[in-house]
Amino acid sequence: MKSFWSVGHSFDDMFPQIIFFPFSFTTPEGPGPLSRCLDWATAVEEDEMRTSVNKEIARYRRKLLVNEFSRERKSSSGSSDSKESTVTVELETDEVVLMRRQKQINYGKNTIAYDRYIKEVPRCHRIPGVHPRTPNKFKKYSRRSWDQQIKLWKVALHSWDPPAEEGCDLQEISPVDLGEMETESIGSNSTESQTSCQDNYDACSGTPTKVRHIDCQAEGEFDLEACLSEPLKDLNTVS
Amino acid sequence: MGETGKEEYKIQSFDFESQKLLKTALKDPSNVDLDKVANVIVDQSLKDCVFSKEAGRICYTIIQAESKQVGQSIFRRSLLNRLQQEYKDREDLRNRSLQAWICYVTFICNIFDYLKVNNMPMMALVNPVYDCLFRLAQHDSLQKEEEVDCLVLQLHRIGEQLEKMNSQRMDELFSLLRDGFLLQEGLSSLSQLLLLEIIEFRAADWKMTDAAQKYYYSEVTD
Repeated sequence: MKSFWSVGHSFDDMFPQIIFFPFSFTTPEGPGPLSRCLDWATAVEEDEMRTSVNKEIARYRRKLLVNEFSRERKSSSGSSDSKESTVTVELETDEVVLMRRQKQINYGKNTIAYDRYIKEVPRCHRIPGVHPRTPNKFKKYSRRSWDQQIKLWKVALHSWDPPAEEGCDLQEISPVDLGEMETESIGSNSTESQTSCQDNYDACSGTPTKVRHIDCQAEGEFDLEACLSEPLKDLNTVS
Repeated sequence: MGETGKEEYKIQSFDFESQKLLKTALKDPSNVDLDKVANVIVDQSLKDCVFSKEAGRICYTIIQAESKQVGQSIFRRSLLNRLQQEYKDREDLRNRSLQAWICYVTFICNIFDYLKVNNMPMMALVNPVYDCLFRLAQHDSLQKEEEVDCLVLQLHRIGEQLEKMNSQRMDELFSLLRDGFLLQEGLSSLSQLLLLEIIEFRAADWKMTDAAQKYYYSEVTD
C-alpha cells in the first residue's frame, strides 16, 4: 500500500512546492510490521526515519525528472529518437524495504572509516570504480543483490579504517570494482529471501563504529568468508 | 546563558548542580550523561508544575543540540523511556500523589506539543496522551477540581492537534465530559464551569469566540 508523501521544503528553486498529505499519520492501520515495537523511543525513531526516507524519495524523483527534462531538451533538435524519451525507471517504493536498506546504510556510515573517507575524498573528487559509492536504495534490486552491494561497499570502506594495533586482514584488499554493480538491476536473481546476511559485519571484522546503535537486529552471525567468496559472476548478469 | 536562559526554560527551581548540568546539556550535549539529564528533567517535572508546563521547550533544544553535534538521539530515547515507564505506573502515581500525577499529565502533553518529528507530532504518544485524559475524565477524577482544571488546560493546548491525529477518541472523550457535566454528582461549580467552557470551545472548532471570552473570562461589570 502506497502512502502519500509530504514535502515541506523545496530543495531547489526550480520546482514549485509539491504538497501531498501524509496518510500514514492518520490511518489507524499504521505502518504495519514496523509498529510491532512497543517502546516509544523506537517507534519515534522509526517514524523519523520513515518521514526522512519519504522526503528523500520525493527529492530523488524530482532529480530524475530534472535529468530527463534536460536530456529531452538536448535532443529536441529532431535527433534519432522520434518517440518519447520518457523512460519510466521503476523505483523501489516499499517503505519496509527502504527503511531496511536505510538502516544498513546507516550502519556503514556510522563508522570511523566512513568519516575518514568523506573527509579525505570529497564527492567531487571521487573516481567511479575506485572510490566506494553508497548503494542507491531507490533502485530496484533483488534482496540478494542489494545485500551483496552493501557488503562490498562496506568492505571497500575498510581501506579508510584508522590504523590499529591489531591489523585487520581486510585492510589489505584492493578496492573492489564497483562500476559494474551500479548498473545492475533485478536480473535473474531470486527476489526477497527471508534469510540474508545481515549486519553483524562489524562484529566480525572489528571495524571501529562510532557508537553502538541500539537496534542492531542480529539475525545470526553470517559467514564473512563465504560472502566474500560468493561467486561474483552473479553480478555480471547484465540486463 | 545567564538569567534569560533560566527564565526561558524555567529552570530556577532546580538546584545549582542540576542547573549546571542542564546548561551544559544545552551547549555541549556530547559531554554530559544525557540519560542522567533526562531523569533530572522528568524528576523535576513531577514535582514542579510550573516547570512541567514548559519543560518541552528545554527538551526540544537539547534534542536539537545533540542531533546537530553528534547526530544522535540518546537524550530523546532516555526521555521517552522514562516517560513510558511513568505512564505504565500512572495509576500508582496517582494514588501516591495527586499532584505528581497532574504534573505528569501536564508534562507528557507539553512534550507532545513541543517535540515534533519532521514537523509532525510523535505518533507513539497519541494514545498514551488520550489514555491520560480519559483517566482525568473518570468519575473520581472529576470530583477533584485540580484534575478537572488539568484536563481542561491540556485540551486547550493540544486538543486540536490531538483531534487531528485521532478524532474518534476525541469524540469519545467529549461524550464522557458531557455525561460528567450533566450527571455527575458532587461536581463543584468551578468544575462545572470548566467543563462547560471546554465543551463550547471544542464546538467552536477549538477557538475562543467573543461571546465565550466575555462570559468566561471577562470581569463581571456591576
